[in-house]
Amino acid sequence: MNPAAHEDETTEETRRGSLGALFVLVIALFGAIGTAFAQGEGASRQSPPVTDTQADAGSDAASTQPPVGPAHTAPATGAPFTSGLAPLPGNARVPLGWLPPGAFEQDTGPSTAVYPPQKLTIRFNHKFHVVTQKLECKSCHPGALTSQSVNDVLTPKPTLCDGCHGTDHTNLNDVQAGDDDSGQCAFCHIGYKAGDGNRVAKFHIPHSNMVFNHQKHAARNINCQQCHGDIHELELATRDQLPRMRGCFGCHQHPDSVSRGDAKSSCDTCHVKGGASEGGLLKTTFASGVLNPPRWMHNAQHAPDFIQRHKYVAANDSQFCANCHKEEYCTGCHDGRVRPRSIHPADYLNMHATEARLATQKCTSCHREQSFCLGCHQRLGVSMSGPTAAREAGRFHPPRQEWSDAPRRPGHHAFEAMRNLNACVSCHIERDCVVCHGGQGIGGGFNPHGGGFSSGCATQLKRNPRPCYVCHEPGAPVLQRCQ
Amino acid sequence: MLVSARAHGQDGATKATGAPAASAKSTAAAAPASRPLDAEITSDTSAQFYEMRSPTGQTIIARRRLTTTLGVAVYDLFDKVDDPRAPTVTFRARLRYDADYGGSVEETAINRPDRLVPGFSRGPVDLMYGYIEGRRFFNGLLGFRLGRQYVTDSLGWWSFDGGQVKVTTPYYFAVEVYGGLEQRGGLPLSTSRFERDGVWRGDRSGYERDPSLYPSFQPSDIAPAIGAAVESAGVTWLHGRLTYRRVYNTGTSNVSQFASGLRSPATYDGTRISQERLGYSIDATLPTLGGIKAGFAYDLYVKQMGNVFASLDWYTSPKVTLSLDYDYFRPTFDGDSIWNFFMAMPMNDLGLRASWDPTPRLGIAGGVRARAFTVQTEPEKDLAFQTSPNALSEANYYPTSAIDPMGGANLSGRYRIGEGFLGARAVADVHRTGDRVGMDVYGERTIETRYVLQARTGVWQWNDKLRTDRDATNFGYVLGVGYKLFPRSLVLADFQHDMNRIAGQRFRAMLWLTIALAK
Repeated sequence: MNPAAHEDETTEETRRGSLGALFVLVIALFGAIGTAFAQGEGASRQSPPVTDTQADAGSDAASTQPPVGPAHTAPATGAPFTSGLAPLPGNARVPLGWLPPGAFEQDTGPSTAVYPPQKLTIRFNHKFHVVTQKLECKSCHPGALTSQSVNDVLTPKPTLCDGCHGTDHTNLNDVQAGDDDSGQCAFCHIGYKAGDGNRVAKFHIPHSNMVFNHQKHAARNINCQQCHGDIHELELATRDQLPRMRGCFGCHQHPDSVSRGDAKSSCDTCHVKGGASEGGLLKTTFASGVLNPPRWMHNAQHAPDFIQRHKYVAANDSQFCANCHKEEYCTGCHDGRVRPRSIHPADYLNMHATEARLATQKCTSCHREQSFCLGCHQRLGVSMSGPTAAREAGRFHPPRQEWSDAPRRPGHHAFEAMRNLNACVSCHIERDCVVCHGGQGIGGGFNPHGGGFSSGCATQLKRNPRPCYVCHEPGAPVLQRCQ
Repeated sequence: MLVSARAHGQDGATKATGAPAASAKSTAAAAPASRPLDAEITSDTSAQFYEMRSPTGQTIIARRRLTTTLGVAVYDLFDKVDDPRAPTVTFRARLRYDADYGGSVEETAINRPDRLVPGFSRGPVDLMYGYIEGRRFFNGLLGFRLGRQYVTDSLGWWSFDGGQVKVTTPYYFAVEVYGGLEQRGGLPLSTSRFERDGVWRGDRSGYERDPSLYPSFQPSDIAPAIGAAVESAGVTWLHGRLTYRRVYNTGTSNVSQFASGLRSPATYDGTRISQERLGYSIDATLPTLGGIKAGFAYDLYVKQMGNVFASLDWYTSPKVTLSLDYDYFRPTFDGDSIWNFFMAMPMNDLGLRASWDPTPRLGIAGGVRARAFTVQTEPEKDLAFQTSPNALSEANYYPTSAIDPMGGANLSGRYRIGEGFLGARAVADVHRTGDRVGMDVYGERTIETRYVLQARTGVWQWNDKLRTDRDATNFGYVLGVGYKLFPRSLVLADFQHDMNRIAGQRFRAMLWLTIALAK
């Protein structure tokens, strides 16, 4: 048997074996990842916390697990209550004009990072109370006029309902129902069952992850509707009626400026500042989500390909980025000492030559070629300018006759240099070029300048003659054309 | 651990005791978390162990790298931290030690020119940044920065030692001026990352005994810099920044590339321009329609446009955005560099992409792009040196088309799970001189708020048309396991294994330690 063929077969067997082992490894890897993610998924579904003050807004603190969202229930008489279970009857879509200012057509709701999901277990008809019963917002939400913090609970205490509904919520461990249907527990409490130990589902509106002072806005005669939309047209008020950031921008405009008057607009005017725990920047990660800029704000949507497009945003307003990112976040890649796998995948050391030639990503975005790239190439002996003991005998480029000898042919280095000069600079020092491109007497006299060069070189010679002198002696006739 | 409730509020205190962060975070976020005089000490340390091989495999360098940074910051030095109108003063500094214990001592020994790698240092220390910053003084009119700081705008990412003053006027614009010394490699506590490319420059101390040793390696000297910018302020939907920068080279430069004294002049002394550039960028958005971003950087020394970009976004629906991107790039270099005067043709890139967010957790983006490298198609006219090959039509080859096309596509997706994510990206680039195509799938998950799992796997193939012996298909994976010690502090180990026919089996082990102590 041909030894080479035998070697090929052995190699093929080895390769098959490797592929089999590889397949098992991949399966095991994905299995492990899947298990980890499946396990973690449960943890991420934890209910948001309930504080004592929040429990005040609801009913029985010792409630059972509450249902999420509206649910139909029935009073003792058996007639179903249908109003107040959704913003509009039949859960119809709320018209854009009734949503808070800044909401979009086909609105997807406010950010969950800022407003965590709520559990509304109370049936309530705002339209009935405001329009029919002629109540004002402050009748039930008096605290909204004086509140200075999002920690304040602005939903009414249940005792406030007692006056009209005939109930008695004074002692939450012994709530007394009213006489008529409107005083029955099931009239308001969704999911209430008479035989269930007088328990009601917990009502839960988590605090907003932001900074807000109702009092300041009320004092400027900004009414509820200007931020919350037309709640008086709706039955149940949901998260969708919470203010949109775009609506806030009617008065507050980023970046902050004295030209905006009293409505200050630095991000920490409304967003939570993390202090030292966040490096002095905004707090961006919450249990309910991650704070990311909307796409309409500086076109800075952090889509999965943002790593390729963020330059447009950073080049325009880096201070905008600096609200959430510290310098070291940027230096991690742009002055990086550790190769980021999201940019340089796999065995990038062997792949990078191809990518550098393609210039898919501009190496100079993160690397100074005459320092970072050249130093490594010299150490490896790839560069012509490296130390003699390290220099390799092999040739990196195609054969000299094709690559560098005159006359030029397809594949000559001149064309490669023209279309991507940076690739040359990553490995060569100026001496390597001067050997041939230096003027007569210094180099081979092969002119590298482009057309029209001499018409503009006078200014360059005057402002910095140093590069001229590398290839031309100061008195050289050709240099005088630029003087 | 060392986390006071004063600084962190309930958040830090709860997380420090290890209670479920999900509940702690939500509660703490409701309260203004920051307090006067927040301070922190942070440190990031990474250790990397891998090998580098030359293309022939003849040279192998062992990398035994240790990179560690130490940061100090004091925030909110004034006592009105919760008032967004109050002036703020902040101090931030970070020092970095970046060592390669795999490097040989001979590579830095000047008495071993056969082994010496100019500019290489086995353990450089640099001050990444260190400045004191004030904002919102005089009712928001005045801001300043003093110390080593970054400037980022359409002229790129840049660093200098000096001062910057920003005046925000009541007329919807701000004026910024700055001046100082550019951060330059070879000077104390500095790196070369932020100086313009095209000059091989560094610390030549010790080379005096033999000036002919690596004459191309230029000595570093201070580089005075000034800059100014005018920027819009107070309007979100429209933002623009006009920026100007000038940097000077000073000191001696080796001009002769061969051996000192053989050519005249051997050196050049004098203050000369390093860079003078003008840039502008603009961003305008109509929230219900779309947005546009555009900008340019013009090199006033070379008298060439270095970069022009424009991006048009169309919000076709609440969840879908279509974009058209354009990018023009022509390399320009430091004023000392000869490469400014080499014929370099621009690249023109055109891209079409779409992003789609089917759910708040899931995002998908993809696009196609085309690049036109341009090349010379006929002899150059008006050349100073008519015998140059560039000016000769005889015996020279010129392509019939000036456009050397390249195509590519990418597709990426990300699914957020709490603080973790599952992502994938695929890339393909095709060009006459080489192709690259590949895909990665990756994820990160934190379990019980402290155990971190990371994984990545992918297949990549690259074809080098100029060197077919460099073609390879690579399969690789990375596995990482970490433990969150306390808020913002993590210890993590990961292991990377790549398999391809060039490298065979390539391994890379990494250890990370991130520590943040806050007061």
